[in-house]
Amino acid sequence: MDFEALFKQFLSGDVAQQASILRSLVIFLPELVLSGSIVLMLAARLVSLDRIIPTHWFALLGAMASFVIVLFQFWQFGQAQTAPVEVFTGLAIHDEFSIFFRGFLTFFLVFVIALTVLTGIPDDEDAPDFYSLLSGAVVGMMLMSSANHLLMLFIGIEMASVPSYAMTGFLKGKRRSSEAALKFVVYGAGAAGVMLFGISLLTGILGTAQFSELAPRFQAVFANHAGMQDPATRCVVLALLMITVGFAFKLSLVPFHFWCPDAFQGAPAEVGGFLSVGSKAAAFALLVRLTTSLAGDGTGALSQLSLSSGLALGLIAIVTTTFGNLAAYSQKNIKRMLAYSTIAHAGYMLMAVSALLVLQSVQSDLVFQGNHQQNGPRAMEGLLYYLCVYLFMNLGAFAIVALIRNQTFSEEIDDYKGLAQQVPVLAICMAICMFSLVGIPPLGGFYGKAFIFASVYEATNVHWFMWVVLATGGLNTVISLFYYLRVAKTMCIDARPADAAPVTLAASSSPALYVMLVSGMVVFLGIIIDPLSKVALHAAHALF
Amino acid sequence: MANGSLTHTFSDGIMPETGDILMFLLTVAWLLPLAGFVVEVYWLCYSHRLNKGAAYVAVACIGIGFLCSLTALLYWGNATKWAALSEPEHHAHSASHDAGHGEAGHSAEGHGEARHEHDAHAENADDHSHSPTPAPAKKYYTGTYYELARFSGLRVSLDWYIDSLTLVMFTMVTFIATCIHIFAIGYMHDELTEEYEDHEVHLHNGGHFSRPGRFHRFFAYLSLFSFSMLGIVLSGNIFQVFIFWELVGLSSYLLIGFYIERKSASTAANKAFIMNRVGDFGFLIGMMILWTSFGTFQFGDRTEGDHTHAGLFTMVRGQEGKLDVSEDGKEVYLQDAYGHRAEKNGKPLSISYMLLVAAGLGVFAGSIGKSAQFPLQTWLPDAMEGPTPVSALVHSATMVAAGVYLAARFYPVFTPEVLLGIAYIGCITLFIAATIALVVTDIKRVLAYSTISQLGYMMLAIGVAGWGAALFHLVTHAFFKSLMFLCSGSVIAGCHHVQDMSRMGGLRHKMNITAYTMLVGVIAIAGLAIPGTSIGLSGFYSKDAIVASALAYSELNPGHILLFIAPLVTAGITSFYMFRLWFLTFAGTPRDKHVYEHCHENPSIMTTPLLVLAVLAAGCAWGGEGGPLYRLIVDSETVPAAARVASVGAAKVILPSHDGHESDVHHVHSTAGTLALISAIIGMSLAYLLYVKKTIDPNQIRQQFSGVYDFLVDKWRFDSLYETMFVAPVHIVSAWCVSFDKGVLDPILHSAASLTVLTSKWDRAFDETFVDGLVNLVGTVTYNVGNSLKVIQTGRLRQYVMWIAVGVIVLFGALFTTIPK
Repeated sequence: MDFEALFKQFLSGDVAQQASILRSLVIFLPELVLSGSIVLMLAARLVSLDRIIPTHWFALLGAMASFVIVLFQFWQFGQAQTAPVEVFTGLAIHDEFSIFFRGFLTFFLVFVIALTVLTGIPDDEDAPDFYSLLSGAVVGMMLMSSANHLLMLFIGIEMASVPSYAMTGFLKGKRRSSEAALKFVVYGAGAAGVMLFGISLLTGILGTAQFSELAPRFQAVFANHAGMQDPATRCVVLALLMITVGFAFKLSLVPFHFWCPDAFQGAPAEVGGFLSVGSKAAAFALLVRLTTSLAGDGTGALSQLSLSSGLALGLIAIVTTTFGNLAAYSQKNIKRMLAYSTIAHAGYMLMAVSALLVLQSVQSDLVFQGNHQQNGPRAMEGLLYYLCVYLFMNLGAFAIVALIRNQTFSEEIDDYKGLAQQVPVLAICMAICMFSLVGIPPLGGFYGKAFIFASVYEATNVHWFMWVVLATGGLNTVISLFYYLRVAKTMCIDARPADAAPVTLAASSSPALYVMLVSGMVVFLGIIIDPLSKVALHAAHALF
Repeated sequence: MANGSLTHTFSDGIMPETGDILMFLLTVAWLLPLAGFVVEVYWLCYSHRLNKGAAYVAVACIGIGFLCSLTALLYWGNATKWAALSEPEHHAHSASHDAGHGEAGHSAEGHGEARHEHDAHAENADDHSHSPTPAPAKKYYTGTYYELARFSGLRVSLDWYIDSLTLVMFTMVTFIATCIHIFAIGYMHDELTEEYEDHEVHLHNGGHFSRPGRFHRFFAYLSLFSFSMLGIVLSGNIFQVFIFWELVGLSSYLLIGFYIERKSASTAANKAFIMNRVGDFGFLIGMMILWTSFGTFQFGDRTEGDHTHAGLFTMVRGQEGKLDVSEDGKEVYLQDAYGHRAEKNGKPLSISYMLLVAAGLGVFAGSIGKSAQFPLQTWLPDAMEGPTPVSALVHSATMVAAGVYLAARFYPVFTPEVLLGIAYIGCITLFIAATIALVVTDIKRVLAYSTISQLGYMMLAIGVAGWGAALFHLVTHAFFKSLMFLCSGSVIAGCHHVQDMSRMGGLRHKMNITAYTMLVGVIAIAGLAIPGTSIGLSGFYSKDAIVASALAYSELNPGHILLFIAPLVTAGITSFYMFRLWFLTFAGTPRDKHVYEHCHENPSIMTTPLLVLAVLAAGCAWGGEGGPLYRLIVDSETVPAAARVASVGAAKVILPSHDGHESDVHHVHSTAGTLALISAIIGMSLAYLLYVKKTIDPNQIRQQFSGVYDFLVDKWRFDSLYETMFVAPVHIVSAWCVSFDKGVLDPILHSAASLTVLTSKWDRAFDETFVDGLVNLVGTVTYNVGNSLKVIQTGRLRQYVMWIAVGVIVLFGALFTTIPK
């Protein structure tokens, strides 16, 4: 269903079609607003309007407006209790889950734009480009979160990725930055190719690209086949594996993480913060939607499928977390360390998806029914809560890195020594973020982790392997303590060397307030858990 | 009665304003001194030390308080059409009614209980036919300011309780306080300085201690005291009384120790505080018993919604003022506000009779402490270390009378045994204090002992059922004693802080206002009257009333004749020592030329209050027991006080009735009055002979009775008795404790500490070698593993992309092998 056909349909005057498209457009309004703000920014550049009104205002207002619209949609959904709506003839889907992520992403966009305004990373000349890329990437991520079609999946991922490549190399003058961008592009292209091949294989075998059709078709095709002896089975497994590679690239899962440390180290910290949270959240939304669609109602062959894929993801999660944490150990550059930290966190979050799939595999099983009906949504709730906390704690860490970089021009951990004496605000907020990343109560990170581990624990009822996952998760939390706290210790306990560049930041300045707000939210989410976890549970229920 | 159903008007809505307006006026009068205190205590924040403003604030607060109280009294009078002043019919009624229904008859007869129940039911039914109010007429207003806490059924709150006694006390306290505040402006004038030299404090270098003046602080304390005192009077429950009871204790402590640098002053303050704690201990026990047994602290009945909760008084005495004692005399049944026995879960509530006695004695113990009764009387003379206005206000007129006030308020809860105890305590106190006053030469201390003695009179009166007489004497005493204290203050100020009467004499020539106002006070306290008529100054009437009650009591209970003889004799002694005081100070020739020459009359700011108080001291009791003051007080009289009541219990006593022309007290009134007057005149004449005519040389008598004299000068040796009985043993025990502490406990602690240190050392060694080693090992291993992982991250793009393919193949292989065939 290409655009021309849609357009023709629209013009042809079929009232029902027109109404459906209009409705789709209304639902699509947040994305449209963001796109509109991109057009405005670029147009303003043409007529030199950006000399009068700084470009970031367009971007910020666009992001806020679209966040408000999403909020309104959320409210509307809550009022009407409507069923999920397929929009654009089924290419995308509109439900609480997608609303949650679109809200998450636009909210995050507001924070990132605010951060870039405070740190001034794009200069006035580059601002329209930068914000166009940023907003464009977010539109792509929003598409990912509401995709309902394999094609949309691919388009979404690419639309989110391509601006990311450009943003990574945004510091054009820096060799390391350009190199990182190039690596990112080539690696991304490779991953995209593999994924596209996987998509075509899957579509070919199942004869559909619609998410909602996948499970029934799979059920139909494999009703009589079983085991890896069957070529069709092998084919499907291979296809799924290849699609997984695409996700693994976006989520920087081991062994598809190689781009990540280089890209993060080369990119400005603001972009690092954006990529680590935004693309991860969108990718998880998409992964969860795809896997739950594939798992379907978990009967027959689907049960086997979802158990296997769940265990496979669990295995990847174990490897990823352990690798990320261990590799983060000896890093001297804080951005590189945070890059490995994001890898590790992707692993934790993947555990939630793994637990979800494992639990889904028995949802039709009478033994588990009733008692465990809520477990799937619970696992999702954990993931969503984790993502929300992760937004604040990771963004906070990257924001502090950016603020310190602006004054010392260094991102080496050693240069952070004794910053508590000069900028106690930054040091304390950094410590809060680090403690939360470890998962120490009563900070938000603890509850995110606790929710996920709880659902992994539930999944141990289904398969013993989840015990391994749980144990690894717990062990990794202990390991991660060392390198996170090293940063906190360096900043707060070590003495500031005499020759170190001085850092000043008034506690009442807006960057300081920003940092305090973000890390304050980390503390807040560790104390007041109920509201957000309820919203997350509500959103999670849309999938089941 | 016109003011028949006052309490219930709140729920009825017929006359809702009276209580509220009274409450409002008295609350203003009560809280104003608090506001004044807050202003004065921070005085130096916005003004300087030499400013008299603090005094004006204090005077304004208490003065407006007086106006409010007076307004409230007049308003109350109008609202009740001054019914209280006429002969109340209900007393006559109850006198005749109660004659046959005394507690003795009630409990002694086997069927008494049943009859009582019958009566109660009948009466109750009768009530209901008239109005929905649950109980017969009550003459008080009560309500709640603020509920502090509620523990299921038990509540703690700040209440108010207003009857004619409250109003009289308010007016009296605020009036006297106003006079004394004004007097103090003059008296404390010395303190208006940056550099006050205290001549009583000698430093090591022979000089005197000097400090900044504390004029504002004095008035802040006075205001705090006024607030607390009024709080006691207004309180609607015993717990609240206790709060303000302690607050007046605090104010008293601060004021006695006003010259804190003087060792005598700080010691006296401590003594007063500690002695009062002894009494308060009993008070607390009493409160605990009440709280446990009654579940309420409330004095009056409280209507909540359409249910009336009985207060303490109703619970004990019911509607008719009778104790509902069980047949064996061991239990007292509690009564509810509707005239029935109070029940909980179908069982009648009761309190053990002995427990009720204990509660009464406990509360009275508080009174003993506060009113300096035997055996806690020794703190009051020492309290004279405070500035004289304080002695006048706190330690004679108001605070010490609070004990009497409390005993009177709590009268319904006291059983006859407790009353007998009160009577004897009062009797002993009044005699001891009066005898000591005979030999004291410090002008303020004479007054202090006379205060104790007069408080003893009041307690005695309460004990012998002379409820009205006690409070009557309380008010008259407040006027003439504050007058005399102010006069003594005037003398002290005029003579530049000379207090010893042996150095005075003939001062009336120099200080005539002080001298003659003092004479008014002396005549008043001596209880003199024109023989043959019953016209005298205030003290005559009130003391007359007390002595009459005592006589009636001892006629009904011949075993307790001492309760009449002691006050009678003491009336003579009182007259003697008061005239001795006046003659020594004002009459005769100057004994110390130096003092006499420097002596001068005080400015009008000090003498005006004297004149005003003198007028009231002379005339406030006008009309005696038919007069307005007595009628106002007696209007609040609790039911059992007026009628003759006989008791069977541990103490078989009959309480005399004293109201109406047929009453026991009335019969003996003229006899008692004549005897008391004779006694007083003898006392006065003796003083005249000894100190003016000098027909008999006091020194000779002193030598002849040197044993008695020394005994009296040593204040009956109470201080040395307490020293050996309490202080010395405490010192011995504490010395033991110290040696135990040092010899036994400390070594144990020290060895425990060294053991801990030793263990910690071991622990540390273990920690550092094993635990840390383990942690470090983990750290090193993980670090090395992480470091080796760096090898994979080569930075070569070619290798990265290759890993994609390798990854896919490896994963596929893994799945291929693991997924079941």
